[in-house]
Amino acid sequence: MNPPATQVAPDALFTKSLRFCGWSGIAAIVLFILGGMVLGEMLPPLLRANDSPAEFVRKVNEHLMSIRIGSVILMLSFALFGPFGVGIAAQTRRAEQRPVLSYVQLVFTACGTMVALLVAFTWALMAFRPDEYHPSTVQMFADFAYFLAVFSVPVFGGWCVLIALPILLAPEGRTPFPRWVAYVNLWAVLLFAPGQLVLFFKDGPFSWHGIVALWIPFVAFFLWILIMSMQLLKVASQPDPIPQA
Amino acid sequence: MTSSRRIPGELGIWLFVAGDLIVFGVFFVLIAFGQRQSTDVFVQSRAQLDLWIGVANTLLLLTASWFVATAVERHRQGERSACARLITLAMLCGAGFVANKAVEWSGKLQQGITPATNEFFMFFFVFTGIHLLHVLVGIGVLGILRGVSRKPEAGPHDLRTLESGATFWHLVDLLWIVLFALLYLL
Repeated sequence: MNPPATQVAPDALFTKSLRFCGWSGIAAIVLFILGGMVLGEMLPPLLRANDSPAEFVRKVNEHLMSIRIGSVILMLSFALFGPFGVGIAAQTRRAEQRPVLSYVQLVFTACGTMVALLVAFTWALMAFRPDEYHPSTVQMFADFAYFLAVFSVPVFGGWCVLIALPILLAPEGRTPFPRWVAYVNLWAVLLFAPGQLVLFFKDGPFSWHGIVALWIPFVAFFLWILIMSMQLLKVASQPDPIPQA
Repeated sequence: MTSSRRIPGELGIWLFVAGDLIVFGVFFVLIAFGQRQSTDVFVQSRAQLDLWIGVANTLLLLTASWFVATAVERHRQGERSACARLITLAMLCGAGFVANKAVEWSGKLQQGITPATNEFFMFFFVFTGIHLLHVLVGIGVLGILRGVSRKPEAGPHDLRTLESGATFWHLVDLLWIVLFALLYLL
């Protein structure tokens, strides 16, 4: 399976695929801004963790159509995490002689994509028939969506760690991405971590509408996608990204 | 080492440090806002903290930082076994910090003080908790450094690894000093 040590022929298909993966990440960000922020009102949060169930129903009804359209766009955005993540794994895999870390990374990519898609599912269900559901069910769908998004620290954090490790452990001169990218990934883990506080607070900065548990992880996450997408595009623009040993 | 402008460790670790400082900067601003909004609650709650536990923890982390800095210096001088011993001492200081924190937290919980008590104790438990997580990660990092300095053969990138790890430990120390001032002293 190992490429011959002298292989230098530029692989046009690999370059194109990597470019596709990089642009998938950027498209995911744009679609999130449209579907999750402008229309879906997930961020800044329309709902608050300490609102009463009746208040959830009232707010959701007031923004019914925009939340529904937003959810459709959110699904598109989150589905693009797949190609984005696989592009990164394909590149880190090239630096491994016998890939293990990149395969583990792929598992986290798949889990992360699935968890993210469920955020959009749940957000959509919340706006499906809020008047027929019991108000506390509407409240639970909102809780569920935010928990999927920010309480899932080990999934998204693990994904970042599994990107950082193959970069840091790669032999000198064969790193799949610059070494600082590994540290950016570790930093992202740190920023996701406060998301787990949402279980313990219903109000204040540590609740799912607060700055520490919602804003910091969300902003970090999409900043991370932006940085990694730019890196993928950069790798795709180089003739031979990993000099063969 | 040839150039006086060389960055200790590598660029990436400093990006990480800067990033972490931004996050803790947000935490510090939150404490300051809380202090302004409910000054009485903050002053009364602060009086319930045991200052000397905080002082002991500060001394433990500062001592650990001194051990780590000396360890890196020893490595530069080629005294790798002394380096490993100093890192072990730093890890022990870190473990002392964790034990002290456990005593402090369990004491508070036994008195019925929890993160739900008031805004001050919410910040106290969450921010010292997040910092404690940093200490635990830091002890793990020191463990890696100890492994590096105990390898039978020195490698070409050992100094970079040691300096990067040491930088992280100093960050953990620095964050505690600010937290200590804001939570215990102000």
